[in-house]
Amino acid sequence: MIKNKFSRRKFLSNIAGNLAFFFLSNAFLLKRLNAKTRPKIVIVGLGIGGATCLKYLNKISDLVDIIVVEKQNEYQTGPLSNLVIGDILKRKEICFKINKKKYEKVKFIYENVIAIDVKSKSVRFSKDLKINYDFLILSPGISYKNDILQGYSVTDKKNIPHCWDGESNIIKFKKRLTDLENNSKIIISSPDYPYRCPPAPYERASLIANYLRKLNKKGKILILDSKNSFTKQENYFREWKINYSEVIEWIPRRKGGKVTFYDQKKNLVKNSDGQIFRGDFIHIIPEQKAANIFYDSGLLNEGKDWCQINPISFELHDFRDIYAVGDSIDAWAMPKSAFSANSQAKVLAINLINKILEKEYVDPVFLNTCYSFSKEDRAFSISAWYRLNVKKDKIISLGSSESNVNANNSDRKLEAKHAFGWYETMVNDLFI
Amino acid sequence: MNKISFYFILFFSISLFAGEDQTINLIVENCKSCHNLNIETTKKIPSINNLDKDEFVRLMKKYKNDNDNSVMNRISRVLSNRDILKMADKIYDKK
Repeated sequence: MIKNKFSRRKFLSNIAGNLAFFFLSNAFLLKRLNAKTRPKIVIVGLGIGGATCLKYLNKISDLVDIIVVEKQNEYQTGPLSNLVIGDILKRKEICFKINKKKYEKVKFIYENVIAIDVKSKSVRFSKDLKINYDFLILSPGISYKNDILQGYSVTDKKNIPHCWDGESNIIKFKKRLTDLENNSKIIISSPDYPYRCPPAPYERASLIANYLRKLNKKGKILILDSKNSFTKQENYFREWKINYSEVIEWIPRRKGGKVTFYDQKKNLVKNSDGQIFRGDFIHIIPEQKAANIFYDSGLLNEGKDWCQINPISFELHDFRDIYAVGDSIDAWAMPKSAFSANSQAKVLAINLINKILEKEYVDPVFLNTCYSFSKEDRAFSISAWYRLNVKKDKIISLGSSESNVNANNSDRKLEAKHAFGWYETMVNDLFI
Repeated sequence: MNKISFYFILFFSISLFAGEDQTINLIVENCKSCHNLNIETTKKIPSINNLDKDEFVRLMKKYKNDNDNSVMNRISRVLSNRDILKMADKIYDKK
């Protein structure tokens, strides 16, 4: 157990009558909480991280006020979104509205957050509307760097949509893909680490190749990579050799894969050596950083890409009672994946409950399993457990391992089945 | 898996997870990411609910020792036998 250094909040200093005993997950006997004022927890962002926090904190919704702020009332998941691009799933199959019947005591506000006011402990939506918090959880996803690639703007609607979050137009991406002529050349620019869902550029290339084949179109996919290696690389190489021989080509950074210039009108990119690559469909996956709300609120300075957190509580460094989870944080050894966000959010929520109830923190354990598809019935994965280092100030991996490179067809098929199973369990648990 | 990784995992499997009950609780919470313990929401991943405690322990030890590099083999080989028994206590004793 780890000592909770939390000093009593104002609401706990005004102790009045007794509340009740509550049970959490049939395991945690919650200690008696006496308070005149109920703690108010505000969750910003209802993706995987935010929805997981909500599910766990809802277990003490008799003790606290929970307010969820989300700009959209429908959430499109990142996981399986490449299967929509690859025409394996329909977009509606990866879009969910939260089932509010599971959260009767929770207030939902569908507004765009402008900024967090740290001094007044409030969340601001517009000049006239703000809500106060005692504890604030930020799970807003990511934003994009606009100054890395000359000629490229994330907001230019004429570009191929990057489709790296639920806001991007995945249908538009797919239409432009579908409209490609036979023997078209597709260029994918893959970003440098760290970024959301590390194997996704390569899964996307695989499923685009699969889709073109379904359309009876030939084409070439060139991955220009800002990295010299990538996760599950050998598994991908094996899958490409079996399924997409001569279709997908990967160029690492050391061989000129780093794209530095983009010309939308001429349909070309240049690498750092000035070498020109022309394509019919140029798909830039932008370099990434923490969500804008951190910068707009002064929680993160320009030049810093990711939020620094306490790995036990997920509280932001230097900002008391503000917590962050998911892809905006620097989670050390943990990749930015949905599974990671889900696992981190469980620790955040459980330890926030412990803090509120003045119990000791749980020493965190995290798990990540990340599935990737090469076809609708072929998938492979990487898994790792994580704990804290001895100093308890960062997350370390206990050793990751991935699927056998030479796995047979039935193994690949079974992993595809498990990937869909994990997804169904997660979205049912969080949203349905 | 190379030799260093093997000994790394072996070291942690006997020294880190066999600890506190709260840590076991968190391990089980992570199991729920794929295996919902309350309602069966998918048939694509084997249900833990349909097992009894002894069968769960037997299967987990099998996954851990089979060395077939399946997802469950990779996830369970970090766990000690004591971890598995404590997980079984946590999952089945409340039922």
